Amino acid sequence: MGQMMGSYNARNVDLYMDDNPTFNHQDGFSFNRKQREMIAKEEDLVSARIPPKYRDYCSHYLLEYQVCRYKNMPMLYKCAHEKHDYLNCEHQDYMLRMKEFERERRLRLRENRLVGVA
Amino acid sequence: MALALVKKAIISNPSSFRKTVGIFCNAARNHWNYQYKPGPYPRTQAEREAAAKKYGLTIDEYQPYPEEMCYGDYPKMPDIGADSKDPSYPYDSPELKRNFNETFHAQAEIFGEDRYDISMRPRLPVLTQLTWFLCTITGSFLLYFYFENHKFGRPVTVKQYPQDGPHYLFSPK
Repeated sequence: MGQMMGSYNARNVDLYMDDNPTFNHQDGFSFNRKQREMIAKEEDLVSARIPPKYRDYCSHYLLEYQVCRYKNMPMLYKCAHEKHDYLNCEHQDYMLRMKEFERERRLRLRENRLVGVA
Repeated sequence: MALALVKKAIISNPSSFRKTVGIFCNAARNHWNYQYKPGPYPRTQAEREAAAKKYGLTIDEYQPYPEEMCYGDYPKMPDIGADSKDPSYPYDSPELKRNFNETFHAQAEIFGEDRYDISMRPRLPVLTQLTWFLCTITGSFLLYFYFENHKFGRPVTVKQYPQDGPHYLFSPK
């Protein structure tokens, strides 16, 4: 049910799939959050002709994977590790988005509660 | 060779050649529709009997169309589509499901197996079909309007791209 119903109750706080987070990134944290860093350089991605859709925080793994494919062209099984790294990174990226969603939902609920008390 | 034969035919038997040409050139003219036209509407009993005999029917079977329909003395045959006829009967012409010298229906050209079956009985009554159709369509629209207000999605925020400003992990620096 996580695929379809996961965001269902979030509509009570007007939160839907692919919404932007609205709270300060530091709200509710006792420590300073680490910023995500983009490792691949834009000009490298352009040079490798990687479409803008794939130029996310995992694109350095994608770049490595594509370079490996280019080098070992007929024998793509040799790039299994690179591919695995890239897909793992995308998985972590997706998990981060899910966490942001849940954080946004809980912060909105908290805000509603505080407004109700006041 | 062929030309020589034609020339010889013209010279040796000109009248026969003329007839042959006449047949080929006047096939349509010699068999035109007016020859198949029905006679005038039968008013007396004798005329009715003559018309019935002409169309190979008994006087009980024979019944002309109403005069204002302009079918003349053409008989009104029962409305039976070819699809509704018995497929196992040994017809003289099975592909048309028709016997030799059987009188054609006045609208026989539309009652073929590949066209319309006027005597077809639907498996379900038309009212039932209409009800099912309308219920299905209405149900679909109701579902559509309900889910228009209840959008489903995966529980994720928008995908993070570097150009969309700083993004943060859930771990300390």
